[in-house]
Amino acid sequence: MAITGSVSKAFAHAEETPVSERDLDWSVVQSVQAGNVGAFDQLVQKYREHIFSVIYNMTSNREDASDLTQETFIKAFQAIARFKGKSSFFTWIYRIAINTTNTFLKKRSRRRYISYENINEEVTSSEIFERLTAKSRSEKGALVHELQEKLNDSLQKLSPKHRTVVVLHEIEGLSHNEIAEITKTTVGTVRSRLHYAKQQLQSYLKDYIS
Amino acid sequence: MAKLPPKRQADIKLENLLRLKRFERPSDQFWNEFDRELHQRMLQTLVKKDPWYLQVMHVFSGRILQSTAIAVAAVLVAMIVVRPAFQSTKLPIAVAQAPADDEFDASIAIAMTELTLAEATSLPNYDSDVISAEATSDEVNFVRDFGMEQMRVASYDATAYSTDSAQARVAFASAGVASLVY
Repeated sequence: MAITGSVSKAFAHAEETPVSERDLDWSVVQSVQAGNVGAFDQLVQKYREHIFSVIYNMTSNREDASDLTQETFIKAFQAIARFKGKSSFFTWIYRIAINTTNTFLKKRSRRRYISYENINEEVTSSEIFERLTAKSRSEKGALVHELQEKLNDSLQKLSPKHRTVVVLHEIEGLSHNEIAEITKTTVGTVRSRLHYAKQQLQSYLKDYIS
Repeated sequence: MAKLPPKRQADIKLENLLRLKRFERPSDQFWNEFDRELHQRMLQTLVKKDPWYLQVMHVFSGRILQSTAIAVAAVLVAMIVVRPAFQSTKLPIAVAQAPADDEFDASIAIAMTELTLAEATSLPNYDSDVISAEATSDEVNFVRDFGMEQMRVASYDATAYSTDSAQARVAFASAGVASLVY
Protein backbone atom coordinates (compact mmCIF):
# COMPACT_ATOMS: atom_id res chain seq x y z
CA MET A 1 0.00 0.00 0.00
CA ALA A 2 1.41 3.34 -0.99
CA ILE A 3 1.50 5.46 2.10
CA THR A 4 1.88 9.18 1.91
CA GLY A 5 1.30 12.02 4.34
CA SER A 6 1.88 12.24 8.06
CA VAL A 7 -1.44 10.60 8.97
CA SER A 8 -0.64 7.54 6.94
CA LYS A 9 2.92 7.51 8.25
CA ALA A 10 1.55 7.31 11.75
CA PHE A 11 -0.51 4.29 10.74
CA ALA A 12 2.44 2.74 8.98
CA HIS A 13 4.40 3.09 12.19
CA ALA A 14 1.54 1.53 14.11
CA GLU A 15 1.43 -1.39 11.70
CA GLU A 16 5.15 -2.01 12.05
CA THR A 17 5.10 -2.11 15.83
CA PRO A 18 1.52 -2.73 16.88
CA VAL A 19 2.39 -4.31 20.21
CA SER A 20 4.63 -1.50 21.41
CA GLU A 21 2.14 1.16 20.28
CA ARG A 22 -0.59 -0.63 22.14
CA ASP A 23 1.55 -0.98 25.24
CA LEU A 24 2.52 2.66 25.05
CA ASP A 25 -1.10 3.74 24.88
CA TRP A 26 -2.01 1.36 27.68
CA SER A 27 0.64 2.81 29.97
CA VAL A 28 -0.73 6.32 29.32
CA VAL A 29 -4.27 5.09 29.96
CA GLN A 30 -3.17 3.54 33.25
CA SER A 31 -1.53 6.81 34.18
CA VAL A 32 -4.81 8.66 33.54
CA GLN A 33 -6.72 6.04 35.48
CA ALA A 34 -4.32 6.54 38.39
CA GLY A 35 -5.27 10.20 38.53
CA ASN A 36 -2.80 11.88 36.17
CA VAL A 37 -5.46 13.68 34.15
CA GLY A 38 -2.89 15.66 32.20
CA ALA A 39 -1.59 12.46 30.60
CA PHE A 40 -4.80 12.26 28.60
CA ASP A 41 -3.51 15.16 26.53
CA GLN A 42 -0.86 12.84 25.08
CA LEU A 43 -3.59 10.63 23.70
CA VAL A 44 -5.45 13.65 22.33
CA GLN A 45 -2.36 14.92 20.55
CA LYS A 46 -1.65 11.51 19.11
CA TYR A 47 -5.10 10.69 17.79
CA ARG A 48 -6.88 13.99 17.20
CA GLU A 49 -5.97 14.26 13.51
CA HIS A 50 -6.93 10.67 12.75
CA ILE A 51 -10.25 11.02 14.54
CA PHE A 52 -10.96 14.36 12.94
CA SER A 53 -10.16 12.96 9.51
CA VAL A 54 -12.54 10.02 9.94
CA ILE A 55 -15.37 12.19 11.21
CA TYR A 56 -14.76 14.89 8.63
CA ASN A 57 -14.95 12.37 5.80
CA MET A 58 -18.06 10.87 7.33
CA THR A 59 -19.89 14.17 7.73
CA SER A 60 -18.23 16.26 4.99
CA ASN A 61 -18.56 19.24 7.28
CA ARG A 62 -15.67 20.90 9.06
CA GLU A 63 -17.60 22.40 11.99
CA ASP A 64 -19.52 19.21 12.69
CA ALA A 65 -16.29 17.24 12.50
CA SER A 66 -14.63 19.55 15.00
CA ASP A 67 -17.52 19.29 17.47
CA LEU A 68 -17.79 15.53 17.12
CA THR A 69 -14.05 15.04 17.53
CA GLN A 70 -14.18 16.97 20.78
CA GLU A 71 -17.22 14.99 21.87
CA THR A 72 -15.36 11.77 21.12
CA PHE A 73 -12.46 12.74 23.38
CA ILE A 74 -14.82 13.93 26.12
CA LYS A 75 -16.63 10.59 26.03
CA ALA A 76 -13.34 8.72 26.11
CA PHE A 77 -12.16 10.82 29.03
CA GLN A 78 -15.35 10.17 30.97
CA ALA A 79 -15.22 6.43 30.30
CA ILE A 80 -11.48 5.84 30.58
CA ALA A 81 -11.81 4.59 34.16
CA ARG A 82 -13.85 1.68 32.80
CA PHE A 83 -11.42 0.93 29.94
CA LYS A 84 -9.92 -2.47 30.78
CA GLY A 85 -7.46 -2.73 27.93
CA LYS A 86 -9.12 -5.74 26.30
CA SER A 87 -8.81 -3.96 22.97
CA SER A 88 -6.24 -1.36 22.03
CA PHE A 89 -6.92 2.27 22.86
CA PHE A 90 -6.68 2.95 19.14
CA THR A 91 -9.60 0.57 18.42
CA TRP A 92 -11.57 1.86 21.38
CA ILE A 93 -11.30 5.56 20.49
CA TYR A 94 -12.11 4.86 16.84
CA ARG A 95 -15.19 2.91 17.91
CA ILE A 96 -16.33 5.83 20.05
CA ALA A 97 -15.78 8.20 17.13
CA ILE A 98 -17.71 6.02 14.68
CA ASN A 99 -20.62 5.50 17.07
CA THR A 100 -20.76 9.19 17.96
CA THR A 101 -20.76 10.15 14.29
CA ASN A 102 -23.39 7.62 13.31
CA THR A 103 -25.65 8.79 16.13
CA PHE A 104 -25.17 12.35 14.92
CA LEU A 105 -25.94 11.39 11.31
CA LYS A 106 -29.15 9.66 12.36
CA LYS A 107 -30.27 12.72 14.28
CA ARG A 108 -29.40 15.09 11.48
CA SER A 109 -32.78 15.49 9.89
CA ARG A 110 -31.89 17.46 6.85
CA ARG A 111 -28.74 17.51 4.84
CA ARG A 112 -26.29 20.19 5.89
CA TYR A 113 -24.12 22.10 3.56
CA ILE A 114 -20.90 20.39 2.62
CA SER A 115 -17.67 22.10 3.43
CA TYR A 116 -14.21 20.89 2.67
CA GLU A 117 -10.70 21.55 3.71
CA ASN A 118 -8.16 22.91 1.29
CA ILE A 119 -5.77 20.32 0.02
CA ASN A 120 -2.32 20.95 1.31
CA GLU A 121 -0.40 21.04 -1.94
CA GLU A 122 2.97 21.35 -0.28
CA VAL A 123 2.83 17.90 1.25
CA THR A 124 1.02 16.27 -1.63
CA SER A 125 3.10 13.87 -3.63
CA SER A 126 0.33 11.66 -4.84
CA GLU A 127 0.37 10.59 -8.45
CA ILE A 128 -3.23 11.51 -8.84
CA PHE A 129 -2.48 15.08 -7.94
CA GLU A 130 0.27 15.18 -10.49
CA ARG A 131 -2.07 13.79 -13.12
CA LEU A 132 -4.55 16.46 -12.28
CA THR A 133 -1.97 19.13 -12.76
CA ALA A 134 -3.04 21.43 -15.51
CA LYS A 135 -1.06 23.99 -17.42
CA SER A 136 -2.31 26.91 -15.43
CA ARG A 137 -2.59 27.05 -11.64
CA SER A 138 -6.14 28.37 -11.73
CA GLU A 139 -7.34 25.48 -13.89
CA LYS A 140 -5.70 22.97 -11.58
CA GLY A 141 -7.39 24.50 -8.58
CA ALA A 142 -10.76 24.40 -10.27
CA LEU A 143 -10.39 20.74 -11.20
CA VAL A 144 -9.33 19.78 -7.70
CA HIS A 145 -12.22 21.62 -6.13
CA GLU A 146 -14.66 20.07 -8.55
CA LEU A 147 -13.38 16.60 -7.76
CA GLN A 148 -13.51 17.27 -4.04
CA GLU A 149 -17.06 18.46 -4.27
CA LYS A 150 -18.20 15.50 -6.35
CA LEU A 151 -16.39 13.01 -4.16
CA ASN A 152 -17.85 14.43 -0.94
CA ASP A 153 -21.26 14.49 -2.51
CA SER A 154 -20.91 10.87 -3.59
CA LEU A 155 -19.71 9.79 -0.16
CA GLN A 156 -22.74 11.38 1.41
CA LYS A 157 -24.98 9.32 -0.85
CA LEU A 158 -23.64 6.12 0.71
CA SER A 159 -25.26 4.69 3.82
CA PRO A 160 -23.33 5.38 7.06
CA LYS A 161 -22.11 1.80 7.38
CA HIS A 162 -20.81 1.72 3.80
CA ARG A 163 -19.30 5.17 4.17
CA THR A 164 -17.55 4.09 7.36
CA VAL A 165 -15.81 1.21 5.64
CA VAL A 166 -14.73 3.32 2.66
CA VAL A 167 -13.40 6.10 4.88
CA LEU A 168 -11.52 3.76 7.20
CA HIS A 169 -10.02 1.61 4.46
CA GLU A 170 -9.50 3.81 1.43
CA ILE A 171 -8.82 7.13 3.13
CA GLU A 172 -7.42 6.19 6.54
CA GLY A 173 -5.65 3.09 5.30
CA LEU A 174 -6.84 0.73 8.02
CA SER A 175 -6.80 -3.00 7.35
CA HIS A 176 -9.91 -5.14 7.04
CA ASN A 177 -9.18 -6.73 10.41
CA GLU A 178 -8.88 -3.39 12.15
CA ILE A 179 -12.13 -2.17 10.61
CA ALA A 180 -13.89 -5.40 11.61
CA GLU A 181 -12.71 -4.92 15.18
CA ILE A 182 -13.77 -1.28 15.28
CA THR A 183 -17.20 -1.86 13.75
CA LYS A 184 -17.69 -5.19 15.57
CA THR A 185 -18.37 -7.07 12.37
CA THR A 186 -16.59 -9.83 10.49
CA VAL A 187 -13.86 -9.35 7.92
CA GLY A 188 -16.20 -10.80 5.31
CA THR A 189 -18.80 -8.18 6.09
CA VAL A 190 -16.18 -5.45 5.81
CA ARG A 191 -15.06 -6.73 2.41
CA SER A 192 -18.62 -7.05 1.20
CA ARG A 193 -19.51 -3.53 2.29
CA LEU A 194 -16.35 -2.15 0.76
CA HIS A 195 -17.03 -3.85 -2.55
CA TYR A 196 -20.59 -2.56 -2.69
CA ALA A 197 -19.61 0.96 -1.62
CA LYS A 198 -16.92 1.20 -4.29
CA GLN A 199 -19.37 0.04 -6.93
CA GLN A 200 -21.75 2.74 -5.85
CA LEU A 201 -19.04 5.38 -5.92
CA GLN A 202 -17.93 4.24 -9.35
CA SER A 203 -21.42 4.79 -10.66
CA TYR A 204 -21.75 8.20 -9.00
CA LEU A 205 -18.37 9.35 -10.34
CA LYS A 206 -18.47 7.69 -13.74
CA ASP A 207 -18.02 11.04 -15.51
CA TYR A 208 -14.81 11.73 -13.65
CA ILE A 209 -12.97 8.46 -13.27
CA SER A 210 -12.02 5.58 -15.47
CA MET B 1 -17.70 23.52 -14.36
CA ALA B 2 -16.17 21.56 -17.17
CA LYS B 3 -15.57 17.87 -16.77
CA LEU B 4 -12.09 16.49 -16.94
CA PRO B 5 -10.68 15.92 -20.44
CA PRO B 6 -11.13 12.31 -21.61
CA LYS B 7 -7.41 11.56 -21.67
CA ARG B 8 -6.91 12.66 -18.06
CA GLN B 9 -10.14 11.00 -16.99
CA ALA B 10 -8.81 7.64 -18.13
CA ASP B 11 -5.88 7.93 -15.74
CA ILE B 12 -7.90 8.58 -12.60
CA LYS B 13 -9.00 5.67 -10.46
CA LEU B 14 -11.42 5.72 -7.59
CA GLU B 15 -8.83 4.56 -5.06
CA ASN B 16 -6.49 7.37 -6.06
CA LEU B 17 -9.25 9.90 -5.85
CA LEU B 18 -10.20 8.74 -2.37
CA ARG B 19 -6.57 8.83 -1.30
CA LEU B 20 -6.48 12.44 -2.33
CA LYS B 21 -8.75 13.20 0.59
CA ARG B 22 -5.92 12.40 2.96
CA PHE B 23 -4.51 15.77 2.13
CA GLU B 24 -7.57 17.66 3.22
CA ARG B 25 -6.20 18.78 6.52
CA PRO B 26 -6.96 21.71 8.78
CA SER B 27 -4.42 24.41 9.50
CA ASP B 28 -2.41 24.83 12.70
CA GLN B 29 -4.70 27.68 13.71
CA PHE B 30 -7.62 25.26 13.64
CA TRP B 31 -5.81 22.87 16.00
CA ASN B 32 -4.91 25.64 18.41
CA GLU B 33 -8.57 26.58 18.66
CA PHE B 34 -9.53 22.93 18.89
CA ASP B 35 -7.17 22.31 21.82
CA ARG B 36 -8.38 25.39 23.66
CA GLU B 37 -12.06 24.39 23.32
CA LEU B 38 -11.40 20.79 24.23
CA HIS B 39 -9.53 21.74 27.40
CA GLN B 40 -12.40 23.99 28.42
CA ARG B 41 -14.93 21.24 27.88
CA MET B 42 -12.80 18.71 29.75
CA LEU B 43 -12.50 21.07 32.70
CA GLN B 44 -16.27 21.53 32.68
CA THR B 45 -16.61 17.76 32.68
CA LEU B 46 -14.33 17.47 35.69
CA VAL B 47 -16.13 20.19 37.65
CA LYS B 48 -19.67 19.37 36.61
CA LYS B 49 -21.41 16.77 38.68
CA ASP B 50 -23.26 14.03 36.86
CA PRO B 51 -27.07 14.05 36.97
CA TRP B 52 -28.59 11.80 39.64
CA TYR B 53 -29.62 9.11 37.13
CA LEU B 54 -26.08 8.84 35.81
CA GLN B 55 -24.76 8.54 39.35
CA VAL B 56 -27.25 5.76 40.02
CA MET B 57 -26.18 4.04 36.82
CA HIS B 58 -22.56 4.24 37.84
CA VAL B 59 -23.37 2.90 41.30
CA PHE B 60 -25.16 -0.08 39.83
CA SER B 61 -22.49 -0.78 37.25
CA GLY B 62 -19.33 -2.80 37.63
CA ARG B 63 -18.65 -4.75 40.78
CA ILE B 64 -21.72 -3.61 42.67
CA LEU B 65 -23.88 -4.90 39.86
CA GLN B 66 -22.05 -8.21 39.92
CA SER B 67 -22.41 -8.59 43.68
CA THR B 68 -26.10 -7.68 43.44
CA ALA B 69 -26.61 -10.30 40.77
CA ILE B 70 -24.84 -12.90 42.92
CA ALA B 71 -26.97 -11.97 45.93
CA VAL B 72 -30.18 -12.28 43.94
CA ALA B 73 -29.06 -15.66 42.60
CA ALA B 74 -28.26 -16.82 46.14
CA VAL B 75 -31.70 -15.79 47.38
CA LEU B 76 -33.36 -17.62 44.50
CA VAL B 77 -31.36 -20.79 45.19
CA ALA B 78 -32.18 -20.53 48.90
CA MET B 79 -35.87 -20.20 48.11
CA ILE B 80 -35.77 -23.25 45.86
CA VAL B 81 -33.94 -25.35 48.49
CA VAL B 82 -35.73 -24.15 51.63
CA ARG B 83 -39.30 -23.95 50.34
CA PRO B 84 -39.96 -27.73 50.02
CA ALA B 85 -38.62 -28.29 53.52
CA PHE B 86 -40.85 -25.52 54.82
CA GLN B 87 -43.87 -27.06 53.14
CA SER B 88 -43.15 -30.53 54.60
CA THR B 89 -43.06 -29.11 58.15
CA LYS B 90 -46.22 -27.13 57.58
CA LEU B 91 -48.43 -30.13 56.80
CA PRO B 92 -48.59 -31.78 60.34
CA ILE B 93 -49.47 -28.45 61.87
CA ALA B 94 -52.50 -28.21 59.62
CA VAL B 95 -53.59 -31.76 60.54
CA ALA B 96 -53.19 -31.09 64.23
CA GLN B 97 -55.46 -28.11 63.97
CA ALA B 98 -58.14 -30.01 62.05
CA PRO B 99 -59.98 -31.55 65.09
CA ALA B 100 -60.31 -28.19 66.70
CA ASP B 101 -61.74 -26.64 63.55
CA ASP B 102 -63.99 -29.50 62.63
CA GLU B 103 -64.67 -31.35 65.86
CA PHE B 104 -67.89 -32.93 64.71
CA ASP B 105 -66.45 -34.59 61.62
CA ALA B 106 -63.46 -35.84 63.57
CA SER B 107 -65.60 -37.43 66.26
CA ILE B 108 -67.67 -39.18 63.63
CA ALA B 109 -64.57 -40.48 61.96
CA ILE B 110 -63.22 -41.82 65.23
CA ALA B 111 -66.57 -43.44 66.12
CA MET B 112 -66.83 -45.10 62.74
CA THR B 113 -63.31 -46.42 63.01
CA GLU B 114 -63.99 -47.90 66.45
CA LEU B 115 -67.21 -49.45 65.21
CA THR B 116 -65.51 -51.00 62.27
CA LEU B 117 -62.78 -52.45 64.38
CA ALA B 118 -65.28 -53.91 66.86
CA GLU B 119 -67.39 -55.49 64.17
CA ALA B 120 -64.41 -56.81 62.35
CA THR B 121 -63.63 -59.15 65.23
CA SER B 122 -67.12 -60.70 65.13
CA LEU B 123 -67.63 -60.63 61.42
CA PRO B 124 -69.84 -63.56 60.30
CA ASN B 125 -68.41 -66.04 57.92
CA TYR B 126 -70.21 -65.62 54.65
CA ASP B 127 -68.15 -68.16 52.87
CA SER B 128 -70.87 -70.73 53.40
CA ASP B 129 -73.96 -68.60 53.93
CA VAL B 130 -76.98 -69.84 52.06
CA ILE B 131 -79.73 -67.72 50.66
CA SER B 132 -82.83 -69.81 50.35
CA ALA B 133 -85.87 -69.05 48.22
CA GLU B 134 -87.88 -71.61 50.17
CA ALA B 135 -88.17 -69.47 53.26
CA THR B 136 -90.26 -66.75 51.66
CA SER B 137 -92.13 -68.68 49.05
CA ASP B 138 -95.37 -69.02 51.14
CA GLU B 139 -95.59 -65.38 52.11
CA VAL B 140 -95.25 -63.78 48.71
CA ASN B 141 -97.70 -66.08 46.96
CA PHE B 142 -95.98 -66.85 43.79
CA VAL B 143 -95.43 -70.09 42.01
CA ARG B 144 -92.00 -71.27 42.38
CA ASP B 145 -90.89 -72.62 39.09
CA PHE B 146 -87.40 -73.39 40.13
CA GLY B 147 -86.07 -75.92 42.42
CA MET B 148 -84.31 -75.45 45.68
CA GLU B 149 -81.34 -73.77 44.56
CA GLN B 150 -78.61 -72.53 46.62
CA MET B 151 -76.57 -69.60 45.76
CA ARG B 152 -73.28 -69.11 47.26
CA VAL B 153 -72.06 -65.64 47.70
CA ALA B 154 -68.42 -65.06 47.44
CA SER B 155 -66.85 -63.98 50.65
CA TYR B 156 -65.46 -60.78 49.21
CA ASP B 157 -68.93 -59.70 48.10
CA ALA B 158 -70.63 -60.68 51.33
CA THR B 159 -69.95 -57.50 53.18
CA ALA B 160 -71.34 -55.41 50.38
CA TYR B 161 -74.53 -57.40 50.11
CA SER B 162 -75.23 -57.90 53.76
CA THR B 163 -76.94 -55.29 55.89
CA ASP B 164 -75.72 -57.04 59.01
CA SER B 165 -72.22 -55.98 58.54
CA ALA B 166 -70.98 -52.82 60.14
CA GLN B 167 -68.52 -52.45 57.30
CA ALA B 168 -71.37 -52.61 54.86
CA ARG B 169 -73.19 -49.87 56.72
CA VAL B 170 -70.19 -47.69 56.53
CA ALA B 171 -69.77 -48.41 52.86
CA PHE B 172 -73.44 -47.94 52.26
CA ALA B 173 -73.52 -44.63 54.00
CA SER B 174 -70.49 -43.33 52.23
CA ALA B 175 -71.19 -44.63 48.75
CA GLY B 176 -74.99 -44.64 48.79
CA VAL B 177 -75.09 -47.68 46.60
CA ALA B 178 -77.93 -50.16 46.86
CA SER B 179 -77.18 -53.71 46.13
CA LEU B 180 -79.39 -56.40 44.82
CA VAL B 181 -79.24 -59.80 46.34
CA TYR B 182 -81.33 -61.61 43.85
